[in-house]
Amino acid sequence: MKLKDGFILRTVAGETVVLPAGGVTDFDMMITLNDTGRFLWERLSVGAEETELVSALLAEYDVTEEVAAKSVAAFVARLKELDFLA
Amino acid sequence: MERDYLIAGLRVRMDTYGRTAEQAQPYLTDTAETVDVVITSSPETLHAKHPHLSLEDCEYLSTGASFYRQLLQFQGMMLHASAVVMDGYAYLFSAPCGTGKSTHTTMWREAFGYDRVVMLNDDKPALRLENGRWYAYGTPWSGKTAQNTNIRVPLGGICVLTRGQTNEIVPFGGTQAALAILEQTARPAGMECRGWMLELVDSLLSTVPVWKLKCTPTQDAARVSQKAMSDEAKKRFG
Repeated sequence: MKLKDGFILRTVAGETVVLPAGGVTDFDMMITLNDTGRFLWERLSVGAEETELVSALLAEYDVTEEVAAKSVAAFVARLKELDFLA
Repeated sequence: MERDYLIAGLRVRMDTYGRTAEQAQPYLTDTAETVDVVITSSPETLHAKHPHLSLEDCEYLSTGASFYRQLLQFQGMMLHASAVVMDGYAYLFSAPCGTGKSTHTTMWREAFGYDRVVMLNDDKPALRLENGRWYAYGTPWSGKTAQNTNIRVPLGGICVLTRGQTNEIVPFGGTQAALAILEQTARPAGMECRGWMLELVDSLLSTVPVWKLKCTPTQDAARVSQKAMSDEAKKRFG
């Protein structure tokens, strides 16, 4: 599982924002990510499976496996909805 | 005929005519060996998409788009705003078309005098980050009114304007402010351009006071925004 190419990630006003470079989606939008979102986004931009994302979250954050799995599933579902996955 | 212009501190080469050439006249400069920006325009392409616009207007829009796209390479960006200068600072009022940007800056001029408040650019001023400070520039691309002045002025504040029943100004920041600014700038496609754009907006938000104004089309509204914005500009920049 991997993000489509052509997204720009930057820190703006202290928050992480993502902007399509154009032509990626049929609309022009800015997305704000929280810390966990950025953590997952960076892994997905180089490609990672859902189970790897859960393991990474568990290693980085003090959360239960159940919470980590739920967070990853929700994040991935949202990316699919936005058609951001390759 | 191909001519050289000095716009927003950049040497610009442009071969244009009509309204664009007229509005650019105050920016003419001696021809140099090399230039920073070469304007390309394709009014026919734009005209095919928007047949209700005249070819001359398409030329004007197309040259402007070319300039502002290239401006990003020089730590600069366009903001769709009406920009006035008062007591040494530029103040920008940004909003979607038809909200009342020009009305508000006209109210500044009515309230504080046409001598003291100068119109820098009524539609698309250029902003540039130079040695850690932000400046606003007049440019030939100033909208229907052709109101622009060929000067560089330290940027004192940016205000996102909305219509209201009362006059109220509050500091504006965070990603909501970033989004409001991004919505009112040119957004050429491409990783490089958009990366620069986000970096510039981040710098703007951390350096320049940004505000949100709810206002009526009155001189009272001008007094409310002028007081808050000039007090803060003086406090921050001296």
